[in-house]
Amino acid sequence: MPDTGIEVRDLHKEFPVRDRGLFGPRTTKTAVNGLDLDIPAGRITGLLGLNGAGKTTTIKILATLLRPTSGTVRVDDLDSVADARAVRRRINLIAGGERMVYTRMTGRENLWYFGQLYDVPKRELRARIDELLSLVGLTQAADTMVERYSRGMTQRLAIARGLINDPAYLLLDEPTLGLDAPIARDLRRVVARLAAEGTGVLLTSHYLAEVEELCAHVYVIADGRHLAAGSPAELKTATGSLGTVRVTVPQVPPAVAEVATRFGATRTPADGGGEILTLRSPDHMAGPLAAAIVGAGGAITALEIKEASLEDAILALTDGTVPGPVVLA
Amino acid sequence: MATATAWRTGRATTLRTWHMTRRAYPWTYAVGTVLPAALTIALGYLGFHAIGGGETGADFAKGSGTSAYLAYLAVGATAFQFTVRLILWSAKALITEQRQGTLGALLIAPATRLPYLLGFTAFAVLSSIAEFLTLGVVIGALGISIPVASAPGAVAGALALIVAVFALSVGLGGLMIAAGEAHISQNTVFIVLGLLCGYTFPRDYLPGYVRWLAEAFPTTAAMDVLHGTLTGGHTLTDLAPRLAISLLLSAAYLVLGVRTLPYFERRAVERTY
Amino acid sequence: MIDATRSAARVFAAESLKQHRRLFGQPLVVFSMLVWPILQLATTYYTLRPVATASDAAAHWPLAADPHRLLAFLATGTLAYAFFFSLVQSAWHFSFERTTGTLELLFLSPAGRLTLMIANGAGALLQNAWLLTCFTTAALLGFGTLSVASWWMYGVVVLALLIPAVAWGAFLNSLLVFSRDSAFLYTVLDEPLWFVSGVRLPHFALPAVVQVVGAVFPLTGSLIAVRGALLEGDTLGALAPTLGWLTLLSALLLAAAAVILRVGEAHAQRTGRLRLA
Repeated sequence: MPDTGIEVRDLHKEFPVRDRGLFGPRTTKTAVNGLDLDIPAGRITGLLGLNGAGKTTTIKILATLLRPTSGTVRVDDLDSVADARAVRRRINLIAGGERMVYTRMTGRENLWYFGQLYDVPKRELRARIDELLSLVGLTQAADTMVERYSRGMTQRLAIARGLINDPAYLLLDEPTLGLDAPIARDLRRVVARLAAEGTGVLLTSHYLAEVEELCAHVYVIADGRHLAAGSPAELKTATGSLGTVRVTVPQVPPAVAEVATRFGATRTPADGGGEILTLRSPDHMAGPLAAAIVGAGGAITALEIKEASLEDAILALTDGTVPGPVVLA
Repeated sequence: MATATAWRTGRATTLRTWHMTRRAYPWTYAVGTVLPAALTIALGYLGFHAIGGGETGADFAKGSGTSAYLAYLAVGATAFQFTVRLILWSAKALITEQRQGTLGALLIAPATRLPYLLGFTAFAVLSSIAEFLTLGVVIGALGISIPVASAPGAVAGALALIVAVFALSVGLGGLMIAAGEAHISQNTVFIVLGLLCGYTFPRDYLPGYVRWLAEAFPTTAAMDVLHGTLTGGHTLTDLAPRLAISLLLSAAYLVLGVRTLPYFERRAVERTY
Repeated sequence: MIDATRSAARVFAAESLKQHRRLFGQPLVVFSMLVWPILQLATTYYTLRPVATASDAAAHWPLAADPHRLLAFLATGTLAYAFFFSLVQSAWHFSFERTTGTLELLFLSPAGRLTLMIANGAGALLQNAWLLTCFTTAALLGFGTLSVASWWMYGVVVLALLIPAVAWGAFLNSLLVFSRDSAFLYTVLDEPLWFVSGVRLPHFALPAVVQVVGAVFPLTGSLIAVRGALLEGDTLGALAPTLGWLTLLSALLLAAAAVILRVGEAHAQRTGRLRLA
């Protein structure tokens, strides 16, 4: 089978909504509205957007749990609706905060159970279970009932479950949600290694630093629509590298207030008295702002410049500060 | 003073339960409580006509003091259903609080437990009336008429049954919260009472040692009074000794239950924290 | 074909382990599948004894004349009822996988859906029923009331119980996975099931309407076949109509399960909700 990756073309998903009970008027809610995505093998692709942007719906469609209203999803040239069963063998999904395993079975038995459902060849299965248990650090607890696991251990087992069929494509929906920092770091290493070995990964995460660290390519969506795409660096450049300039002033005489308005800075009370003027702007605006405040007879107690991060880029995009769609290489 | 407080606790519990149940009454619950009794009566009815040809064996009359099998069965099945209903409300009151997370609030309140549980029982007795009416329709539709040999006796028997079930429920409720389990204990109690206490068949059928075991439950003597004064053709005076035994046993269970309840409550708190 | 059979066998193995871990050694199983049925059997026996000992009873129902045979009649009813009701319980439990989220993982996997439902029911049945089966077999042999046409009729008995029960389990599993109010089904399938299926009364004693309703439930046919083969010495030929009906009913239940799964999963894929409509 050619590793042509996951190709999403013109994906639409509408949910029927029935207001006020059984006989209420029927409407539809559009969750995904014309998305195109490419998730090639061997790359970690990010999917970003604010809550309600349509990320989870998109991932569930890719996982065959939801069916698109229109548009196509092809996984290694297999249609995800027509060839759903073959597609299911090639993918797996790990949802963050997920503790969906059977508590009355041991960790090893849970993995064996899902291995059977995925029809993993018997000889491979035994070795893979050991390998996965060690990967998520559960070798010691392998034969303990899951009901005696801690929350973190259950979550790690859920991650191992998502890898039981050695998926060609791994869908990660907020995988590190609620994980302890060291475990989250280990998971990131595992994901990076899997991608290096050829697995195609789709990652959504609220921790943008994580996306910035891992993803070679990022799609930004809002309201189910494509907003921007590119590498994290490209996204930052394209959004005009909006860093943050924070100037703390002891008091705000009318002339300084006028400067703040002119620059479009927001004003918030500072903890130790005075105010903070915050300006989302390109880095070079820090100097002119400071000069203008001093020129207007104001004083400055602190000045902080934060470099543009992916977070700023996403916020700028979804706020509409930068008009989308921004399409990059 | 103490009586007034107890009265207020009991009344408040009855009212609270009434409101809560009225708001969210699962109708499957009603079906689940009326249906078993109705089906048992129907089973007897069909068997009586299709198999017995409208007659019963001689040992039935000897054991029950009547040949009115269907009336006997209707009384027994109804009384059994009533027993189940009362235990479900009274014995499960505390564990329900525990599951809702309100047991702690209840335990630190200064009110004593007995009026609280009596409040639940009062509610169960009241709300069962509607269900009895439904059962009455079934019994009437099958053309079963129930002879009443002694009305005061029947009332005394019914009251003795309520007291007996309540007395059993106090201790059982304690056991439930201590064990954190209701399903197995309640169903086992139902099924044991149904087999031993002479609800739907004369106890003479049971092997001797089992009959003695049955005497350990106050419900057994109470059912003797109820059956005897309805279909059995006895007066209250005839059955006064059985009534006394039932009440004495109930008193013993009640004292035991009330004495052990604080211990079980402590165990329940220790188990969950 | 071989591949499909092999992967189905693996799903069976997986579900069997799951049910074994969930049920084996649980106090509830011992009570609900052994203690309660036996005590209930005694209560039913004593409740029916007055009519079975009536002077006319033997004329209406020859079996009633012998207390041991009456007990054997009720014991087979208890056993078969326990089989079928344990599947109601298991389906009820299976429907909880909706809330724990593991159901979504099952639908994420490539495992055959109908296979999963059948395997889940069969696994539960094996775990639940062995205690009572051993007890009933010992009791029937002990009473000396068995009257069997030939040794292989025991095989027919086992099949007449198992196949319809497993089909019933698969049907209930599929239905409850997509039902909002499973409490309703649970209530309806508990008490009324024994009544309409002739668990505690011979078939002829039931009114015609009840017999018609009862015929829809595979438990009814199973009981006729089991009792006929074990207590009346019926031959395969005599039981052929009943067995034919059972086969048809089992096929219908499995077909219905397949349809429910297809419609239910399609609906879930469209709306994101596990419901039938």
